[in-house]
Order: sequence, then C-alpha cells, then structure tokens
Amino acid sequence: MYGRKVKLRFFFILLILLTLILSAFLILKSLEENVVYFQSPTEIQSLSEVDKKKIRVGGMVKVGSISMEVKEVKFVITDFKNDINVIYSGVVPNLFTEGKGVVAEGYLKDKNFFLATKILAKHDENYMPPEVKAALEEK
Amino acid sequence: MKIKTLPVFITIVFFIIFFIFFKGLQNSNIYVPKSEFENDIPSFKAQIFDSEKKINSTDIFDDGKFYLVNIWASWCAPCRIEHPFLMNLSNQKNLEIIGLNYKDKKENAKKFLKELNNPYEIIIQDKDGTIAIEWGAYGVPESFLIYNNKIVKKIIGPINKDSFLKIQERIK
Amino acid sequence: MASLIGYYSLIFGFCFSLLIVLFSIKNFRNTNIFDNKIIFLTFMQFSFVVLSFLGLILSFVYSDFSNQTVFNHSHTTKPLFYKISGTWGNHEGSLLLWLLVLTLFIFIFLLRSKEQTKQYRILTLLFQQIIIIGFYIFVIKTSNPFNYIFPIPSEGLGLNPILQDPALAIHPPILYLGYVGSSIIFSSTLAATTLNYISKEWAKHIKNWILVSWIFLTLGILIGSVWAYYELGWGGFWFWDPVENVSLMPWLALTTLLHCILVLEKRLALTSWVVILSISTFTLSMCGTFLVRSGILNSVHTFTNDPDRGLFILIFLFCLIFLSLFIFFFFHKDKTQLSNNFFWLSKETSILINNWFMMYFLAVVFIGTVYPIFLEVITSEKISVGPPFYNKLIIPFLVPFLFAMTIGPKLKWIKSELRNKFNLITFLIISLLLSVLIIKSLNISFLLNSLLITAAFYLFFITLRDFFTRKFENLSQSISHFGFSLLILSILFNNILSTEIITNLKIGETFVTKKFKINFEKIEQKEEQNFKAIIGKFSVENSKGNIEILNPELRIYNQPNIVTSEADIKTNFLTDKFMTMNLVQNQDYFNIRYQTKPLMIWIWISVLMISLGGLKSLIKKKYEN
Repeated sequence: MYGRKVKLRFFFILLILLTLILSAFLILKSLEENVVYFQSPTEIQSLSEVDKKKIRVGGMVKVGSISMEVKEVKFVITDFKNDINVIYSGVVPNLFTEGKGVVAEGYLKDKNFFLATKILAKHDENYMPPEVKAALEEK
Repeated sequence: MKIKTLPVFITIVFFIIFFIFFKGLQNSNIYVPKSEFENDIPSFKAQIFDSEKKINSTDIFDDGKFYLVNIWASWCAPCRIEHPFLMNLSNQKNLEIIGLNYKDKKENAKKFLKELNNPYEIIIQDKDGTIAIEWGAYGVPESFLIYNNKIVKKIIGPINKDSFLKIQERIK
Repeated sequence: MASLIGYYSLIFGFCFSLLIVLFSIKNFRNTNIFDNKIIFLTFMQFSFVVLSFLGLILSFVYSDFSNQTVFNHSHTTKPLFYKISGTWGNHEGSLLLWLLVLTLFIFIFLLRSKEQTKQYRILTLLFQQIIIIGFYIFVIKTSNPFNYIFPIPSEGLGLNPILQDPALAIHPPILYLGYVGSSIIFSSTLAATTLNYISKEWAKHIKNWILVSWIFLTLGILIGSVWAYYELGWGGFWFWDPVENVSLMPWLALTTLLHCILVLEKRLALTSWVVILSISTFTLSMCGTFLVRSGILNSVHTFTNDPDRGLFILIFLFCLIFLSLFIFFFFHKDKTQLSNNFFWLSKETSILINNWFMMYFLAVVFIGTVYPIFLEVITSEKISVGPPFYNKLIIPFLVPFLFAMTIGPKLKWIKSELRNKFNLITFLIISLLLSVLIIKSLNISFLLNSLLITAAFYLFFITLRDFFTRKFENLSQSISHFGFSLLILSILFNNILSTEIITNLKIGETFVTKKFKINFEKIEQKEEQNFKAIIGKFSVENSKGNIEILNPELRIYNQPNIVTSEADIKTNFLTDKFMTMNLVQNQDYFNIRYQTKPLMIWIWISVLMISLGGLKSLIKKKYEN
C-alpha cells in the first residue's frame, strides 16, 4: 500500500504533532498555576472568599502608616477607597515611602490582612504602578 | 493544498498577534482618564505650594470670573514652551491663573519659576498626581478655562499661539 | 551648535539612504559589475551618522540644555564619564546608536563580501536599507534626539542614578552590536533566499556574522545581569523580568541558528531552519525593542513610555515580518534532498534534537512574556508571570538537553556509531555517583536535582576530558560547551547553597542567628560630586569566628533626587558575601539584607567562557582561510 518512506514520514509528523500538543498543554497548565493576579484593596473587599493563591496588591502607602520592628515592617496600602494592612518581612526597596505607590506580592490572611513576601521596586520616583493608576481611575 | 493553507494560517496568526499588541498598546499603560467632558469642575482639597496650608477648591473659584487651571511640572519640556503665553495671560485683568504642580519636586519647581517668572495666582501641589486624575487630565501640560465653576475650554498639550488667541477671545 | 550639526547630518544621512537605494536598483538591473560608488555612498551615510552621534555626545559633554534630550537626561554636576554614557542611556540616543551600528555593519559587510556575487550583495544592501530607512523615519518623526527648547533652561533634570554605573554605560552598545548584527543576518538571508543563493559557501560566509553577533549578545546579556546583581540589591542575577526575557529570546534563536549553520555548511541540510531562524532572530530583537520602548510591558526596568513610538515600531516590525514571510513562502526552495535523510545516530540528528529543545525554551519564554499582554487585552485582567513558571517548564527539560549536548559532539556527520563507549559509560557512572553523593551530603533528596546535577557533571567531565586528551576536533565547541556545563553547575549550587538573612536593625544593635552574628557598628557620611553617601559599617562573624567587615551604602543623589542603595559585595572564588541596607522614611531602623552566594563568580566566568568559544571559532576561521 504505502511505501516505507511515506509511513516513516507520517510517523514523523504524528510525533511532531504529539510533542507540540504536549508542550502546549504543559505550558498552559503551568501558566494557570503560576500566574499572579493583581488586585486593589477595593477588589479584595468585594471578594466572596479569600483565596490561598499568591496575588499582588497595589495602591499607595498610607501616610503615617509605616511602623518597623526587628522582624517585620507593617504598613497600610490604600486606594483611597479601601485599606488593607500589610505585614512584611523582607527587603524594602529604596522608593518605598509613605504616600507613594507600592505593589506587594504575597498571600491574603483575610480581607484585612495581607502577608507580603515581596515588595516590588521601580526605579523611578514619579512612577505609579499602572495597576494603581487603573485602580485610582475606578475611584 | 497543504502548501497553500500553511502560509495563510501563519499569516493569520501573525495578524492576530499584531492586533493584540495593537490593542495592548492602547489600553495598557497609558493612563486615559474619564473621557466624558465634565462640565462641572471637580472639588478637591489640596496643599498650597511652598506652604503647609491646605485649600478647598470652593475657596479658589468664584462665580463671574475666568480662571485658567494649568497643569505643569518643572520636568516637562513643553511647559517651558507655553510659559511665555502664560506670562502674557497673567497680565489680563479678568483672568486668574491657577497652577497645578504635577508630580514635582519643590526645589525644582521653585527654580523653574525663578528662572521663567511666576504667572500663577495660586499654585496647588499635586504630588502623586491624584488631583490631575480627578480633573481628567491626559498629561502635562494641560489647561482648563473655567467660568462660573464650569469648564468652558480644555487645552491638551502646551498652549500655542492659536489657543492663546482663542483664550483671549473667550475672556473678552 | 553641536546639536544643529548633529541634526543636519542625520537628515543628510537619510538622503544618502535614498541615494543608495536609487543607485543599487540601477546597478542591480544594468551591469554585472558591482558599482563601487555604492560602497562610497554607504561610507558617506555611515560618516554622517557618526557625525550626528558625535554631535549628540558633544551636546552632552558641554551640557547644552537647549537640546531637549540633554535637558531631560543630563546635569552639569554629573561626572564626565556619565555625561558621555548618558548619550545612549536614553531612548533617543539609544536609537541613534542603533542607526550607527546598522550603517556601520552594512558598510563592513560590503567591504568583506567581495567574493560574493553582485546580485546578492546589492540585494542584501537593499534589505538592510529598508531597515535603516525605517529607523531613520522612526528617529526623525517620533524621537528626534535634537529637539530644541526655548527658552534655554539653566539646568538639566539629570540621569537616573541607577543608570550611572560603568556596567550600564557599556551594556547598551554591546547588546546593540548583538541585536543589530542580527539585522545583517536577516537581510543577507532574505537576499540569499530570493536569489536561491543558499549554499555551503554562503553558509561559511554568513557564519562569521552569526558568530560576531552571538558573541556580543552573550556579553551584553552577561553585563546586564552582572549589573542587576550588584545594583538592584536583590542578590539575584536573573529575575525572568520581561526586559531580560526579550534579550534572552534572540539569544536562544541565535544560538540555534549558529548550530544550524554548521549543519548547512557541512551538509547543505536544514536550510529552512536557517532561513526561519535568521528571520526570527532579528524580529525577536525588534520585538524586544518594541516591548521595552512602548511601555506595553509592565516591567521593573522600563524607563520610557510612549505609545506613539510603540505603534511605529509595531507597524514596522510587522511589515518586516510579512515581507520575510512572503519571501520565505514564495522563493524558498528546500535544498535538502530526500536521499540526504538523517540517520538517527549522527551529529546532525543530535543538533536537530537540541534545536527542538531550544525552540521549546524559546516558546516558554515568549509565552511567559507576552501572555500578560494577551490576557489583559482579552479579559482586562492584570497578571504577572513569575519565576516559578519558567523554572518549572525549563529545568526538567535541561536534563535531556544536556545529555544530547554531551553525546552529540562525539558523533560523526552523516552516520555514526558510538565510539569510546567505555569512556562515555564510565563518566556517566562517575557523574551519577558524584551527584548522589552531593545530594546526600546536602540533605536535599530531590529527584530532579540529582538528575540535573548528573547531566551537568556529565557534560562537564566529558568536555574537560577533551581538554586533557587534546583529541578535540573542535576546540571552540568544547570551550563553549564546557562553559555551559559550568554555568548550569554554578547556578544550581548557587541556588541550593545560598543563605539569606533579612532583618531590621538600629545603629549599635546586633542580630544573632545560628550561623552568623551581624553587628551594626556605626554609620558615616561622605560627600561626592553628585551624591551624598551614608555608609554603614557592619561586622559579620560566622560560626568559625571569622569576622568580615561589610560597608553597604545609601546614596542620595542630588539631581534627580533619588535614593539608591549600593550593595557591598566581598567576592572570592568560593563564595560572595552580599549586603545591602536601606532606610525607610521617618524610621530609626535600617533594613538589612545579608546573603552568602556560593560560586557567584563562576557564573560570570562560565558565560565569559561560552563567548570565548565563539571568539575562538571566529579567529580559527580566519586563520584557515
């Protein structure tokens, strides 16, 4: 019926297709698992339940809210509508200042407490995270 | 057949990618405020430049008088270009120019005014850019002409000869 | 004055572009001899761009603030070195640099391709001119470096201090040499495809260009990550940040291309691979410029955001993509004969297998980088893709990749048998035992780790053996592969063995853990030309009683007024000790981070080695010819 070459070729194409599908599946699956969503304090308030997944919270550091101890830094992120308390132990970026934009990555303890594992820095003083701008815009 | 479909398919894929990038360009980081033309001026409370005092917007704007709210910053190059027009406008009798110092350093702003003179009646500070957002500003510089607590004209970008003449026409 | 000259030379250069196109088309049709006037015109074009670039440098040196670019990015108190490097540290200047390298490379190409046919040389020139003209329009329309401001400001706004750094001063030029070098590969491949010119000789000639841009790209990425390591103060060297990814993607494509061109040179096979990879290397470089410059990406490193610029690059980029797709589909004929089918055990098969792995890595990085953009457009949800995504998808596949990298070079072209089976198996067993031993002693019983360490050790030993037996057929390949194994090993052990302490201390306080005692002794102040520094003095005592003094700094720059922390790093061949401190406004506490990072320097050395292999290959070629 078919020559050996044709069969070989068919087999080869099948193999490539399979690998493509497999790698696409792998990539999509781990995308789903490792994506970090961005939320504003207001969006967190409106959550029906607190998720265990890692998220990013963005807003402004509330003026007068930073307090430092040996182990941790506590502060409040606000989007001028709702606030969220953040507890963080780790490196604080240079531009972390009261009244400036901030994005914290970590886990929600409940709707009012956020355990941050990382605070993202941006090397520009006038910078406001786009997420924060968008959140402010909704205000 | 197979050879024909592949190029078409790939071309379509690239078109889709192009489209998505194109869309992404428009909505992602460029911050576009509410586009509707708001006639009433937003009320705000802000700190006066180079002082600790705070002022309410209602204390600034009175009825029956023209105001020009000008958003500026020392780091903005076009602001320098429009400055001579502002100086000229500040000599007009029935117009008060209100400066909104946008995301700026006090020292830099002071230097800027010392160098180019100060056309502003009052300067309010907008350190984090939130007031500009409430005004629906697109960027710096931008100017709003106000009469009877209503925005009658909006100038996006630096004031040029054309818009300068129009402002003069309007406040006559 | 200088910027006026600069501006006019820019315009003149553009006119020369048009002249070149005109002459080339005429020459392409008429005669059979290459018109030497064209080389002269190309040289003139290059000179004008150089003049324009010099004009910009002079404006920076003399702090001519009537120039908007200078005003935005310079300041009189900046040291001279950073005034000069500030020229290409900003968007406008860096584009001028792009243009400079584009014109330089096409000029060199014309000089060095005399043995090629006239048609091919001219067509390459034409394709390159399309790119050059595109960039000219881009520079002049959307990002003119010579914009005039009036009234002239008395002082500039200054350069972001984080960019005031020797590594970052040379990072852009080197990276651009790599990026733009790929433009020559792009245009010549398109020309060769159109003329059906792809042959073994062509492969030999284009290989040099591939090597050159590959070396520069590798070095550029290296410098960027060394900078990130000591300047950003996170103690890492690769963050999978989109901006880093966009430089990695062309590198992956270019590395694959480098291997394919070898197959093409020896066996006239994989021509489609070569064409597609040449196209994608350059388009990925352009794509990188687009993503970084348009501000479409949400990255820590993007400095300029301008949607107009983004739109222009986007349209230009896709025009190039569609042009190359058109050429590929209509002109390309795969010359691989059917009888030329690969035997399963041969050098080319192993290269082909690794190509597929490389493509997979490329796809992972690409998807991870652009997925957030796609999702935001479609669902308007804002997300980011973190390092776990890349680690999970790339690390497991490194194992077979490394094995193929080890076995492949040992095979012969066309058809091969495994010689030296004994050696290969012995070394495999040795590496396996070694890695098991290490894993056991470190108490991290983890399957993937041991497999990965085995594979890396395997490559390490096999290439190391090549150096000793001196039986290498290909020294440059051995050096690069050895470097790669060293890189993987250093990264692995660096990851596994790093320790970190983060704490907040007041002056005079001591922080004690099992392993270390950190004593914050005092702070000192220092004044420099353009910043004030607060220097902390810390003594770190380890469990053996050795005391090390570390002095991290906080710098408060005057213009623009920005605080940066400078890490203090003590480096030796075994381990790096890394400390940063930071001060939060209105607080007595200093935020301290102390890290030990083993084998850090070997990461840099191994990457240097990888590019050294490329350099060796480049020199050897000249030697032989």
